[in-house]
Amino acid sequence: MWRRTPSFILDRTSTSPPMAADTTRAPIQNPDSISAYYQTRAAHHGVITSEWLSQAQAAVGGVSDSGDEHPVSSLTELGNEKSFNVIEEFNSWRKQPDLAEAVAAIRALAAVIRASEATTMMELEIELTKASDTLKSWDTTSISLTAGCDLFIRYVTRTSALEYEDFNSAKSRLLERAEKFGEISCKARRIIAMLSQDFIFDGCTILVHGLSRVVLEILKTAAQNNKLFRVLCTEGRPDGTGVLLSSELSKLDIPVKLLLDSAVAYSMDEVDMVFVGADGVVESGGIINMMGTYQIALVAHSMNKPVYVAAESYKFARLYPLDQKDMAPALRPIEFGLKIPTKVEVERSARDYTPPQYLTLLFTDLGVLSPSVVSDELIQLYL
Amino acid sequence: MPDVQSMVAEFVNKLRKRKIEGSQATAKCTVELLRSVISHQRVPHANQAAALIDAVKAVGQQLVAANPVELAVGNVVRRVLHIIREEDLSLTTAAMAGLDLLDASDDDDIDNCKGIGYPAMSAAVVAAAARSTLRPPSLQTLLEGTPESATVPYTSSSGADSESKSKSADKSSLTRKLKHDVIEGVNQLIHEISGCHEQIAEQAIEHIHQNEVILTLGSSRTVLEFLCAAKEKKRSFRVFVAEGAPRYQGHLLAKELVARGLQTTVITDSAVFAMISRVNMVIIGAHAVMANGGVIGPVGVNMAALAAKKHAVPFVVLAGSHKLCPLYPHNPEVLLNELRSPSELLDFGEFSDCLDFGAGSGSLQVVNPTFDYVPPNLVSLFITDTGGHNPSYMYRLIADYYSADDLVM
Repeated sequence: MWRRTPSFILDRTSTSPPMAADTTRAPIQNPDSISAYYQTRAAHHGVITSEWLSQAQAAVGGVSDSGDEHPVSSLTELGNEKSFNVIEEFNSWRKQPDLAEAVAAIRALAAVIRASEATTMMELEIELTKASDTLKSWDTTSISLTAGCDLFIRYVTRTSALEYEDFNSAKSRLLERAEKFGEISCKARRIIAMLSQDFIFDGCTILVHGLSRVVLEILKTAAQNNKLFRVLCTEGRPDGTGVLLSSELSKLDIPVKLLLDSAVAYSMDEVDMVFVGADGVVESGGIINMMGTYQIALVAHSMNKPVYVAAESYKFARLYPLDQKDMAPALRPIEFGLKIPTKVEVERSARDYTPPQYLTLLFTDLGVLSPSVVSDELIQLYL
Repeated sequence: MPDVQSMVAEFVNKLRKRKIEGSQATAKCTVELLRSVISHQRVPHANQAAALIDAVKAVGQQLVAANPVELAVGNVVRRVLHIIREEDLSLTTAAMAGLDLLDASDDDDIDNCKGIGYPAMSAAVVAAAARSTLRPPSLQTLLEGTPESATVPYTSSSGADSESKSKSADKSSLTRKLKHDVIEGVNQLIHEISGCHEQIAEQAIEHIHQNEVILTLGSSRTVLEFLCAAKEKKRSFRVFVAEGAPRYQGHLLAKELVARGLQTTVITDSAVFAMISRVNMVIIGAHAVMANGGVIGPVGVNMAALAAKKHAVPFVVLAGSHKLCPLYPHNPEVLLNELRSPSELLDFGEFSDCLDFGAGSGSLQVVNPTFDYVPPNLVSLFITDTGGHNPSYMYRLIADYYSADDLVM
């Protein structure tokens, strides 16, 4: 925020020292931190750049080392092994394309419970907190990961105080709930799809940005209910989400039209509503989503078109960004197809923040809500 | 029962013929009718709440179908359903607490309970689980048990009851208690609906200041009482009344205000934009408030709201809590508008040759809508009988007053 001066010359000279600070996180990898979350999303979408591939090779070799180096040095040997397992476990769950990020996190924590040799609730809680901190520090850019971990820890600390005298039954109940969470997540998507059916009317045109599994579920359900509508999807560079989404939708016989990202304002006239998913929903009621969402929301707002966000409730996060640069940077490699001279900088952020005044309604499994509900829910949960 | 049927049929007729004017009167009559339905309804011993809910829903569907434009009917039916669910829940948790104490002294019962597959949990856990199913879903309850746990109290309590006679005596008193509690709750609702004007008028003094100019449109009893309450407290202010064509109810309001000693100016609807720069605040009454904070009001309020937004004038909407609707304006069940007779606009005799009757020479059509929709971003404040609220706060009131299961009737 405080660097908004035209003196980008000064900025360029001053960026070199902060870069050094980043390298303490991953000393063996490249100086710029590529966001693991967005890499995984890209992997799901099947878009793998050569750069990312080489990074991934290095990362697989490096994860065992980084697993040891990341946690605070006060961890014991046993703790190091655990953190190694947690991250490995999380990565293996995350690779599945149909699983939500938070579900992968909670499954990883469930694995920690299963492998734990604790004999009291307190010990178990401490282990879980350590594991969740490790996961969070490993990938600071994934909001659903943080939110999912916090939610689970909160649940553990709250219910453990209740009536169970028997530790084993409490532990098994925790494991059962953690395993059930995958079902809860699927149920959440179905609830959201059901709630949003009333908003899709016959003959409407929907603009979709990004490839959100929740939005796909909504459109699938609408098609199954024999609603007549058509979809405009943005190309979604550099992930190519538009092509994937359009192929999915054409399988369902929904008329689809692909747009360049820059053609959104041109086509906004014929659009009736905009549907987006969210990587995270922040406390102000705004959303953090794939790059381009803010732009589309601005255009839609200026033309009085409603912007609907479909997000499960476990994506609510205790962040309050005041502007675009106020979040942890999440960078990703972008291919332009041509060789770019090294003097030319590339804006590689993978996500942007859309403030709540440009959003109309949030479709969540807690119901159809206005953006001000988010802080209410978070306050109830955390205070 | 036949008595109740005829009452329901008579009321449905009245609604269909639009004989009852105003949402407050309609809401009150509807609640009184539902109270009779509940008191006459014979309930079985088990699952009595479900029987009551079904009875009320059946009557409610008929009433809503008779006059779908009057959203207050649907609102109060849902309020009554919510009351039934709440009372049932509080009775069940009290019963569970009592039952648990008795169980603790009886070994057989504990074994039996375990036999049903009901773990040895204390009443607090069951109560918490049951309460979580009634409360709107929240992040706190996301990871907790599924709603099946709510039905377990029923089976376990009935299972335990078949054991001892003392418990069966409690059960029959439980039956009477549920109906009694529900009727008490419904009486409270009637009291609330009747008293909404006073509650809202009490807050007038905080919003209307000395030497202000207030603009209002059409005629609303709530607005009248609001302005008079401020006048009583010795505030001196002026009122601009937009006449509210084609019914010209603004004229009646102006007469009443002058009778109470307020300085009033009558303007046409088209003059709102011209006069808005001289106005400090716009106050209107609403026909209904939707779940997103949007307002359905008399035709012309959208224009007043846009004018107010342009000149940064606060736009205040007064609405009793019976006008708060849990549906969204996009919902196909919500009829946003009703078309009234074109004779209010044009005299039939003069225009009979050019009017379009489908087959013939004329091509003149006349449209006379009753209502207007104001989107939530144009509204500054809602004043209800519970206080002043932001449009984005409406979801909270809805969660307090209505249950999610009742939204589709």
